[in-house]
Amino acid sequence: MKKTSDLRRSAFWKIYGKMFAEPFRVVVRDPLALVGLFLLTFIVVVALFAPWIAPYDPDEMHRKVEGVLYRLADGESRRLGAERSFPLNAVTVRGDEAIAVGGEGRVARYRNGGWVEERTPTEAELFAVVSGARTFAAGDGVLLREEEGEWRIDLEREGTLFKGLALAGDSGLAVGEDGTVLKLSPSGSWEDVPHKERGKMAAVSLANENFGFVVGERGMLLRFENGSLRREPVRAFRDLNDVHAYAPDFAFAVGARGSILRFDGTRWQEMFGPETRDLRAVRIVNEKLAFAVGPFGVVLKYDGTSWTVVDTGYRRNFRGLGVADGAVLAVGSDPFVNELSPPTREHLFGTTHLGRDIFTQTVYGSRTALLVAILASLVVSVIGVNVGLVAGYFRGRTDDILMRIVDIMYALPFEPFAMILVLIFNPSIWIVILAVGLLTWRTNARVVRSQVLSIARRPFVKAARAAGASDFRIMFVHIAPNILPLVFLQLAVAAGFAITAEATLSFLGLGPPRMHSWGTILHAARLSGAWRTAWWWIVPPGALIMLTVVSIFFIARALEVLSNPRLKNER
Amino acid sequence: MNRKTYLLSRFLQLVATFLIILTMLFFLFRLALPDPTTALVVEGLSAEEQQLVREKFGLHLPLWRQYFIYLRNSVFLGEFGTSFHYKAPVGPIIFEKFLNTMVLMVVAILISYTVGPALGVLLTWKRGGKLEIGGIVAGLVFRSAPMFWTGMLAVMFFGVSLGWFPTSGMRTLPFDSTGFLDTVFTLDFLHHLFLPALVVSIYYMGLPMLIMRNTMLEIMGEDFIELCRAKGLKERVVMYGHAARNALLPVVTQAAITIGLAVGGQVVVEVVFSWPGLGREMLQAVRTSDYPMAQGAFMLMAFMVLAMNFVADALYGVLDPRVSVPGEGR
Repeated sequence: MKKTSDLRRSAFWKIYGKMFAEPFRVVVRDPLALVGLFLLTFIVVVALFAPWIAPYDPDEMHRKVEGVLYRLADGESRRLGAERSFPLNAVTVRGDEAIAVGGEGRVARYRNGGWVEERTPTEAELFAVVSGARTFAAGDGVLLREEEGEWRIDLEREGTLFKGLALAGDSGLAVGEDGTVLKLSPSGSWEDVPHKERGKMAAVSLANENFGFVVGERGMLLRFENGSLRREPVRAFRDLNDVHAYAPDFAFAVGARGSILRFDGTRWQEMFGPETRDLRAVRIVNEKLAFAVGPFGVVLKYDGTSWTVVDTGYRRNFRGLGVADGAVLAVGSDPFVNELSPPTREHLFGTTHLGRDIFTQTVYGSRTALLVAILASLVVSVIGVNVGLVAGYFRGRTDDILMRIVDIMYALPFEPFAMILVLIFNPSIWIVILAVGLLTWRTNARVVRSQVLSIARRPFVKAARAAGASDFRIMFVHIAPNILPLVFLQLAVAAGFAITAEATLSFLGLGPPRMHSWGTILHAARLSGAWRTAWWWIVPPGALIMLTVVSIFFIARALEVLSNPRLKNER
Repeated sequence: MNRKTYLLSRFLQLVATFLIILTMLFFLFRLALPDPTTALVVEGLSAEEQQLVREKFGLHLPLWRQYFIYLRNSVFLGEFGTSFHYKAPVGPIIFEKFLNTMVLMVVAILISYTVGPALGVLLTWKRGGKLEIGGIVAGLVFRSAPMFWTGMLAVMFFGVSLGWFPTSGMRTLPFDSTGFLDTVFTLDFLHHLFLPALVVSIYYMGLPMLIMRNTMLEIMGEDFIELCRAKGLKERVVMYGHAARNALLPVVTQAAITIGLAVGGQVVVEVVFSWPGLGREMLQAVRTSDYPMAQGAFMLMAFMVLAMNFVADALYGVLDPRVSVPGEGR
């Protein structure tokens, strides 16, 4: 008993295996079809491994941080050098050199009109940099020291966000947001300065080795004198962000809501500021010139008596200032949505108007395309083959009725019909498959039927019938294997059609919502209005639709020989 | 069965199919919108007033009577109801949009069905060379590039980058015209027509080209071609004068079918080029849930498919005297 079933199984594989192997052989022999097969395999691989190939989440809004360096001078501002791809938090100037520090422990040196990025041993964000007799940078839990272009970790302190650094002669101060104050001893080591202040500290500045100020949140103003910290008698109430002590009798502090305080040698006084937005940094050039900067391109200038707004025409956020010998450098940075970026190394196909990565979306789009292609072509083939088989085998009235239904289906234009389906139901991937399935089986049924009509007249079918085989058995065991090449062909054609159909519906905004498909990408491009210029947004998805469909056509063209051997001589 | 009875039976089939489609539409829309009054009636109407509205539109009648009223209105009176969106009868709006679509599609299909077959003949003539493979690949590529994509590329390149052609609409706004013909017979219109017609014709060109090639290959083996060659006719005359003429039949019938399908089938081109056609109107109707408009537009599109298929059948008989009854093989 077991033996018979084994035999039957092997016979099954003999028949069907041959039917599968033959199309494959035909495809491999035809050069165009081979190209198609390669392309299709490539796309299938992309679809299968999409999460590994795509570098981002398709919905992620990519932000971009750029660091910029501006030279502020009397009445004008000039942009220097190329923008960096990381935020710049602080800058220090020494001679004709500038050192800017920023996120990810990155340090860039500006020299001779160009930027050179330097390696540091940390990836922590850096907030402060100072350069004098020695050069230090400080940030999230680290203090770095630079010697001859080499950056070393000078001190590590977990949890301390170093925000301010100051140098004067041999002395130096570093303050951390958590209230840590470190003093640089002449021997070069950092020692804690004890104090009783609570509250976050933001900046420090030294006028000389023994005199300086520390500022912080809620108007914190501390005087550093002779190695100890003491609270100033006048206390502002707004957060202070930066302080610069130019001389023991001249200092500015700036902070939230455009507040500016001035130190005249004895006490701090609130000054009138023309800005109501935050100020992040202040630097004094001389008694008659000082600058303060803040977010949204705010630049203020002090002319010896009062502050005025300088219009730089620049809207990004300024975070730090550096001065030396009359040169004032402002560094700025701000995360902004990386919208409509042309192809770059990070975004191979550029970004959309919402800063989404088009490469990622395109990769994920292949999944939708193939899913729809496979499901829809299966639905189409199952309906089409069965209708064709039944119509061709039974003929007569059954055939008439089925073929009239096919005629009716031929009168339905695809896109409008799909639109009606979307109007009545809601857009989803199933509607797309349903629309393709309902409207495409008509061709399959017709083609299969005509083939079945001729096969059913062959002797082996008559023999099977004489041997007492049931209709079902004759249809599916004797006739079906003979129309398999044709079924493959129709399957391929339907798959190509399904991909175009899904793309079309998605392009019209009627496709599956919240799914990434090539059509959806083009739909978004059209909606945004950017498609008239953003070529990188349009070319990849459309090209992939074209490549996928054309590779299917190439394969189908080769398979045609199987179902219509007459073509063999014509090629 | 002679040709007349054959055509008559095809015509009856057409009518029956159309009726079935109308019926299907009626019930589909009823499924989607069980009580059309909810869409027609402004909120806050009292029960009696709602009843009045129902009676005005005949919605108080039993479903089967509504069905027959619907059939009578749409088939014999050409009334497709009142658009929810325009608050105006659907019929005239659809007709206007239909003309706009037709003028674009007919021009484009004429171009592609003139150039396409000519290229197909060329491919057969230069058989076995690089030209043939290139032609086949080009034909398949044209057919697989989605039209909305090629359209977008055309707009981007010829419209925006080079600025040669306007990219949207049928005329430069604002314009005065008293009617369809007045709108169309202007240079400005041709200028607007160029890009969409180009995109559509490129898409459609592949099919007639490949069909032509296939038919030509069959015909080239026939005796009369040998005879032509034996007479010493030039190859060009044999190709274009004798073989091509006999191979045109499938192309011509395909052209008719394509026109029928193009009326509703090319929504995307109208969307990309903001062409005020029927497909774009229908898309808008679907977006705004304008049921009568969508229904009317679909009826017209389905009718065009049926009518042009019928025309193709008729052409087949007229153009090829050997075929007295097409479809006999069935």
